[in-house]
Amino acid sequence: MTTRAGELSPDETKDPKNWTNRLRGWLEGLVPPGQALPDTQPVYVASWIYVFGVLTLTSLVVVIASGCVLSIGGVQWWHVSSLGHFVNSVHLWSVELFFGFMVIHLWGKFWMAAWRGKRAMTWISGVLLFGISIGTSFTGFLSQTNFSAQWIAGEGKDGINSTGAGAFFNVLNPGQMLTWHVVLLPLVVVLIVLIHIIQVRRHGVVPPLDAHLEG
Amino acid sequence: MSGLSIVAEGPGRYIHWGVIQISVANLAIIGVMILLFILALVVPFPTGHDERSEQEERGR
Repeated sequence: MTTRAGELSPDETKDPKNWTNRLRGWLEGLVPPGQALPDTQPVYVASWIYVFGVLTLTSLVVVIASGCVLSIGGVQWWHVSSLGHFVNSVHLWSVELFFGFMVIHLWGKFWMAAWRGKRAMTWISGVLLFGISIGTSFTGFLSQTNFSAQWIAGEGKDGINSTGAGAFFNVLNPGQMLTWHVVLLPLVVVLIVLIHIIQVRRHGVVPPLDAHLEG
Repeated sequence: MSGLSIVAEGPGRYIHWGVIQISVANLAIIGVMILLFILALVVPFPTGHDERSEQEERGR
């Protein structure tokens, strides 16, 4: 397209046959106007229990950042370098915090029945995230390049094989487990995190059970 | 440090209670998480709500 936007009428720029227009419309409709990054929240959100979702997200940022640094030195870097050991520890402990915060977030949302008010997809995407995060951490433990990783692979192979997944997911193959850990599973986790956050922004933060804000 | 980190560490301490077997480290982490959960429910959350309300009142 060589024409400038100013030369087209508003109707022409909304041509539904144009995939760019359709994509723009879809992106604009993902969250209600002003809800992408709101600076205010309902008064019931003023509770520490509502903080754990953001803490989980923050931990994930540290997990990914430290994982990127680890990937520069490689999986055996932490065995031979004090800096590598430090970054590996940051990666491990940010994962520990990630899971700790996520489980407390899960407890909080479970006991306030956070699937109310058309928030089923928010709940389901969170459950999916929990499961896939466990799988991602599993492949991380398999990528430690130590006896612990070897033992976990030896113990895990029969369980994985019993599901039939062993044909394409071989826990005894450290190269395959590493690529799943640093490419495929993080992509899936980040994608579902985006879906989860968009769902939260679309439907808002769930009110407490006694708030009587919705039917 | 270097090569030592690939040597398997000790088995750790475990608590046995019937069919339940859990390491002291995992039990401690679960305890801290439950404590955090309870604290999150009972500790007041600091808000600037009062200040904002006062500002809104002044604006009227």
